[in-house]
Amino acid sequence: MAIISSKKQLSEIIISHPEVITLINRFGITLGVGDKTIESICTEKNLDYDFFVMILNTYINEDYFPEKILKSFKAQIIINYISQTYHYYTHYMLPNIERHFALLISHSGDNNNLELMQQFFIELKNDIIKAIDADCTQWFPYILDLEKNNNTKNTPQIKPKHNGSQIEDKIDDLKNMFIIHLTGKYELNLCYAVITAIIAFEKDFKQNNRIRNRIIPLIYDSLKK
Amino acid sequence: MSIEVHILTHDTTQRIGLKYILMEYFNIPSKTSTQLNIEQLGENPSSLFFVSPQCYIEYPDFFFPRKNRTIIISKSPIKDCLSIDVFSPESEIINQISFILESFDSSTDSTTSELSPREIDVLKLIAMGLINKEIADKLAISINTVLTHRKNISSKLGIKSVSALSIYAIMNGYISEKDLMR
Repeated sequence: MAIISSKKQLSEIIISHPEVITLINRFGITLGVGDKTIESICTEKNLDYDFFVMILNTYINEDYFPEKILKSFKAQIIINYISQTYHYYTHYMLPNIERHFALLISHSGDNNNLELMQQFFIELKNDIIKAIDADCTQWFPYILDLEKNNNTKNTPQIKPKHNGSQIEDKIDDLKNMFIIHLTGKYELNLCYAVITAIIAFEKDFKQNNRIRNRIIPLIYDSLKK
Repeated sequence: MSIEVHILTHDTTQRIGLKYILMEYFNIPSKTSTQLNIEQLGENPSSLFFVSPQCYIEYPDFFFPRKNRTIIISKSPIKDCLSIDVFSPESEIINQISFILESFDSSTDSTTSELSPREIDVLKLIAMGLINKEIADKLAISINTVLTHRKNISSKLGIKSVSALSIYAIMNGYISEKDLMR
């Protein structure tokens, strides 16, 4: 797959890869991008276009992971991006699944299995919120402080509370429960809405987790030296 | 179509051991014998043969055309042949058989995706929140065996987490919601 450059029109990218709509959104870019290039849109929005392009490429192409380039960015910019992504999860993606799940149950008659699966989704959502909270209130502030002051000799070292793999497993479980094990009557369109929202979230979470787990520890190590 | 397994070896321990593992962990019954009886075997394309090297050498005309369905019982791997080391630990033998069955080109999906009665027993206990040691004690099996069952259950159902397995167990009537409260 060809690597996207900042000279490309953003509209072309969105048309070829509509899944990036959710990604550009967390950079404050909304639809109606006209024929502007990535570089000009980023300049208008005061965004670092090198960083934006790198994230765009990482998101579209699962095999693309420019470790050296990512490492060259400041911790602040990567943590800001991950925090924005977390905000997007807690304010849009998870509530969207939740809303559709509730509608699916109310339109599917008497199907206890859906209620049990919703129960599992709520547990998963709580796990995600807890993990995000640990990052945003403990680990990220510690790294930012390290970058800013480089003086944490007297403060105890804070390590990440999780690597997200258990959450990834649970998202996969939920997806498989729908695809393999769903029984009883259900409203087809709403079921489709729930499952596509879960699949989109799964892809996003895995990509974001890849950046979180592989880059932040490297930045942390270089700050410690 | 279900797999038909034949175990052909003069070694009684190997015959009994393989038969037990196939039944206990894979829910696959097998026929054992010390020698080949071609007329009895018939020509079933879903037959799988576990044979000693001696037996293989005695009947090359039979086994060579069925090479992709013949597993030679041998301590070391044999070039261009499927083989199984029955001298390795039980969990390793189970893994080897699991690999052979997965790669066996036969329409056996419906059989392998169903949980065996023993796997259902383990699933019930996992769903009720018991840890591996407790499950092993309760079913009088080793922790390694519990781990193998867990691996098989997860791979058959596509479910890894305990809470999702609990939901699956309730959905399929293996436990009730009340059972979740230990």
